[in-house]
Amino acid sequence: MRKFLVILILAVLGFYLFEAFSGLGLGFPRFEHGVKDYYLDKTVSELHVANTVTSIVVSFRGFDTLGEVTVLFLAVSALGSVLYKRRHDVGSRSILFASSGIVRSGSKLLFPAIILLGVYIFIHGHLTPGGGFQGGAIIATGFLLMLLAYENFRVSHHVLSYVESLAGIIFVVIGLLGFIDGGTFLQNFLPSGILNELFSGGVIGIIYVMVGFKVAAELTGLIYSVLHEKD
Amino acid sequence: MVGSPVLLIAVPLLAAFVIPLIGMIWKELVRIVPGLVLAYMLVLSVTLLVEVNQNGTIVETIAGWKAPWGINLVYSNLTGLLATIITTLGFLVWMFSYRFKRNVDFEPAKKYFIFLMMLVAGATGIVITGDIFNQFVFIEITGISAYALTAFYTGRNSAEAAFKYLMMGSLASSFLLIAIAIIYSQLGTLNMAEIASKMHTMDPVFKVIALIFFITGIGIEAEIFPLNGWAPDAYTEAPGPIGAAFAGVVVKAGIYAVIRMVFTLFDIPAAHDFLITIGLITLIVAESTALRQEKLKRMLAYSSIGQMGLVLVAFGIGTHAGVFAALFLMLNHAVIKPLLFFSGSYLVFNSKEKRISEVNGLGKFMPYTAGLFALGSFAIVGLPPFAGFWSKLSVLTAAADEGLLLVIALVLIVSVIEIVYYFRVVNRIFFQEYNKEESVVPHKPRFNAIIAMTVLAILILVIGFYPDAVTGMLHSASSDLLDKSGYIDNVLQVGQSLIR
Repeated sequence: MRKFLVILILAVLGFYLFEAFSGLGLGFPRFEHGVKDYYLDKTVSELHVANTVTSIVVSFRGFDTLGEVTVLFLAVSALGSVLYKRRHDVGSRSILFASSGIVRSGSKLLFPAIILLGVYIFIHGHLTPGGGFQGGAIIATGFLLMLLAYENFRVSHHVLSYVESLAGIIFVVIGLLGFIDGGTFLQNFLPSGILNELFSGGVIGIIYVMVGFKVAAELTGLIYSVLHEKD
Repeated sequence: MVGSPVLLIAVPLLAAFVIPLIGMIWKELVRIVPGLVLAYMLVLSVTLLVEVNQNGTIVETIAGWKAPWGINLVYSNLTGLLATIITTLGFLVWMFSYRFKRNVDFEPAKKYFIFLMMLVAGATGIVITGDIFNQFVFIEITGISAYALTAFYTGRNSAEAAFKYLMMGSLASSFLLIAIAIIYSQLGTLNMAEIASKMHTMDPVFKVIALIFFITGIGIEAEIFPLNGWAPDAYTEAPGPIGAAFAGVVVKAGIYAVIRMVFTLFDIPAAHDFLITIGLITLIVAESTALRQEKLKRMLAYSSIGQMGLVLVAFGIGTHAGVFAALFLMLNHAVIKPLLFFSGSYLVFNSKEKRISEVNGLGKFMPYTAGLFALGSFAIVGLPPFAGFWSKLSVLTAAADEGLLLVIALVLIVSVIEIVYYFRVVNRIFFQEYNKEESVVPHKPRFNAIIAMTVLAILILVIGFYPDAVTGMLHSASSDLLDKSGYIDNVLQVGQSLIR
């Protein structure tokens, strides 16, 4: 009876929400005076960035990106603190069956290519689709592949936390340099270069590379600590 | 050069990334640096508040993009006051827990101080930002720090409490995101001031749906009645000082987000009646549940929820007097409830169950801590010479001005309930015999904890005997909240004058 009531209420709520949402008109060019035209114009004319999504994520709403990077950092630290054991020797993983020779040699071959792809994606974040978050996630999948293929593949926790902290520090310091130079936090203080070249967009490229390093280190650390969790 | 509002966010973020590195150099630094950062935030927020009082609202742009296009921070009388409350509490919680896990375990201590600092920084961000998506990001930062702190003692109960909180918090985040998406799809902007100025063009159906999603989402942080299931468990299972941080920091930021939506962003008059109704329900349910609690921290948690209900009622009255009363209540609650949590957590320090029945006769062994707990109890129920009296009085007069007799009656009845359950504890502490089998072994508070508690006690006495010390600030903060067109002008003016 109670379950039935819950389902009924959810159904009624869902129906009305669906009604309302179908009227929202998401995806249609509804407003003339929104912020979008300004973004499209300034991305090319002032920032000299080819990828508008990147310019919105890193420049117009760069403060949010700094916040999201912090959210990721906190989430990974929180997981680490929940899984932390007093005498923390990283235990060996429980493995049901060893990976086959094909997987092992194949992943050895793929690993450098995956890392290279990830690096390419975050270095070219301001030119082509993708960026720090995507590139970092791809690098982490490379480490995941190695961890799955080799039982005794080790990643140094110290190196990961150095990379993570340094990338975060550089992000905030770039923001503070912009603050000292131009008066507002995260402001561009480097020449913006020529559109469509690798060195263009001022600080945007540097920030996205740092985001890439940070995301890669954090996700790798996350995978590593979850894989080595046993009780 | 006093600095600017953005440093309230940038400096703690920088420190959060630096702490893991400097912890490798000297372990004591992971305790000292967060304290320095919180002290800096406190000094900065106070100096900025003084400046705002003289020169008017500070609107700061970020990344060089002016108001409607980029993100901006608004440091006004209201947001400055709340930011000051939050940073003060954050600093005191740090001071109280300075020796936490010292000489015991380094890794958890490092995490604890990072999370505490980010909790305070996130809450400050929620309060001073002028952009709804940015506010969402800060709600995430605060939320994740809070889940991590709840799960800190990796036991069964704390895991359950943290999981409950995490589930509700994630649901809240998705609701907020839906609300933000609705607003953006209709108005094409995320800037609070621009949303407020365009709100009248929005279809009322979407307006109501967006407001419902907002209040449901933020209501979880603000402990509004049906959404506060996480709070008692989280307050009980988190380390002692963190209960104080939840009551003084997280909830204040949540309440601010709710009232900013209702007062500035949305122009729905019925929302005020909704606040009164939901506030009264929260108040009555929470206080009557508090009466039945057997564990000290759970009782304090329910009392905290009840106080937030009262704050919502006062905001719902909607007049200047009502807003003034609500802000006064928030200030007093931020001073009194942490004192109760601090002293309460020392009263039941050596107890596993943390039951109220175990505090019998502790007044003889730890007179100072017990005395402070009694002082906090008297203040929060609203006995005359203490801080709580003035705020409760101003709620009652604000309600009387509007002729809301039901509100007055219920607030008075609930005050009686509050007196019953707080005095029950005080009675046990001072007038019951100490019993070796039942009572807790007394635990002497550390020096830093005594200082933190004494500062709060002094604040209670100062506000109690000389309320004029704060009323001026509260009056200007309440006119600031009610001045919607002033807010819009302040923010968008910056946008117009600096267009390149």
